[in-house]
Amino acid sequence: MNEWFADISYKFQTAFIEGDRYKLYLSGLGVTLEVAFFAAILGVIIGIITALMKLSTRKNGKRPILSYIAQAYIDIIRGTPSVLQLLIMWFIVMKDSKNGILIAVLTFGINSGAYVAEIMRAGILAVDHGQMEAGRSLGLSKGQTMRYIILPQAIKNVLPPIGNEFIVLLKETAIVGYVSLSDLTRTASQVSSRTFEAFMPLIGAAVIYFVIIKILSKLIEMLERRLRKGDHR
Amino acid sequence: MITVKNLHKSFGKTEVLKGIDYHVEKGEKIVIIGPSGSGKSTFLRCLNLLETPTSGEIWFDGQKITDPKTNINKVREHMGMVFQNFNLFNNLTILENITLAPTKLGLMNKEEANETALGLLNRVNLTEKAGAYPSQLSGGQRQRIAIVRSLAMSPKVMLFDEPTSALDPEMVGEVLDVMKELAADGMTMVVVTHEMGFAREVASRVLFIDEGIIMEENTPEEFFGNPRNPRLKDFLSKVL
Repeated sequence: MNEWFADISYKFQTAFIEGDRYKLYLSGLGVTLEVAFFAAILGVIIGIITALMKLSTRKNGKRPILSYIAQAYIDIIRGTPSVLQLLIMWFIVMKDSKNGILIAVLTFGINSGAYVAEIMRAGILAVDHGQMEAGRSLGLSKGQTMRYIILPQAIKNVLPPIGNEFIVLLKETAIVGYVSLSDLTRTASQVSSRTFEAFMPLIGAAVIYFVIIKILSKLIEMLERRLRKGDHR
Repeated sequence: MITVKNLHKSFGKTEVLKGIDYHVEKGEKIVIIGPSGSGKSTFLRCLNLLETPTSGEIWFDGQKITDPKTNINKVREHMGMVFQNFNLFNNLTILENITLAPTKLGLMNKEEANETALGLLNRVNLTEKAGAYPSQLSGGQRQRIAIVRSLAMSPKVMLFDEPTSALDPEMVGEVLDVMKELAADGMTMVVVTHEMGFAREVASRVLFIDEGIIMEENTPEEFFGNPRNPRLKDFLSKVL
């Protein structure tokens, strides 16, 4: 028993303490959070715009060109692996840029935007059509009614799937190692290849992801509860 | 005030309105009745272009609003509408429901709008609900708020699309009372309803719409006392 404990504590020592390695994990976590945070913001912005584009109609009731552009974007993003999108961004689209974080944020933001767009579209369609008619009947424009009436209700509708999307996004950033960014996952694998010991770094990284995502989902839950106040439907 | 000329409206291959001509004078209270599916709601919704007519003309206050160049948002500022399902904005408080349009359209500043809204709420005895959300109100209260929300824009005409049809019976009266008050104040009103008592009491003219045309049009006394059209006779015998 004592031997086992000594072994574990030695492994812990080499994985986290020796050479201040915990700092590597912290900086890796920093990269993961930075990429995920800004990509999430970018994704929501792109998603809302894309959803509105896809839902737009012309006066004669036909689909406008904007709607087809939105559909094409969604199809392309959903139809290709995100690792490939990252590599294409790194080696082709932005091959002159040295800013890996920026490339990762753009890639994941553009990727997430396609999924957020479909979530937002469903959320907007779930708002009773009478809300739009009431806004229009008062003289508000379509855009004003969208902004003040429909979108606030749509966002409340989609909080659970959007929270889900944020979680997926946070974990998806683990592939940035492909473009030599040292995020949490890559740090763990680098440490394990230096210490010839895989257990502690990998399980350690997994625990950190788990805790971060637990906190994130709690925050989303709290936000959801706050937005549901005064809502007794 | 409103002139409708040869109005047609089709949904796909189904022709719902088959040529309606009518004229509403300022201060008139027009009540429209008819069986379900007759086109009466569609007709009302064409008046503020919530439905775009397939052909025909609608004039409001000397302006041809079916002209594509007309700014319909500006026109709608002067035409209030009350819906069967209330359609209060669920994400806003009662006070915000009433002040949203006047403030966002730049007609009033925040203080003026709040003052107007509280005055109107007082008129329908719902002042204490100013901070509540629509979901916390009864159907009758919601519909009174919906009426007041339109009134905050000082409309020249009010359109009512079956305002009491979604209400529990005991709440119909409180909504009709507000509408009667409004009528007594001289508001021009076009009302689609199944409330025959209201039609008799308040209407200056009653219209019977069926199969997409106006089948009969008369004063309430003649309309109910001496109906001529056989379909109207049949309809009245069922509902009265």
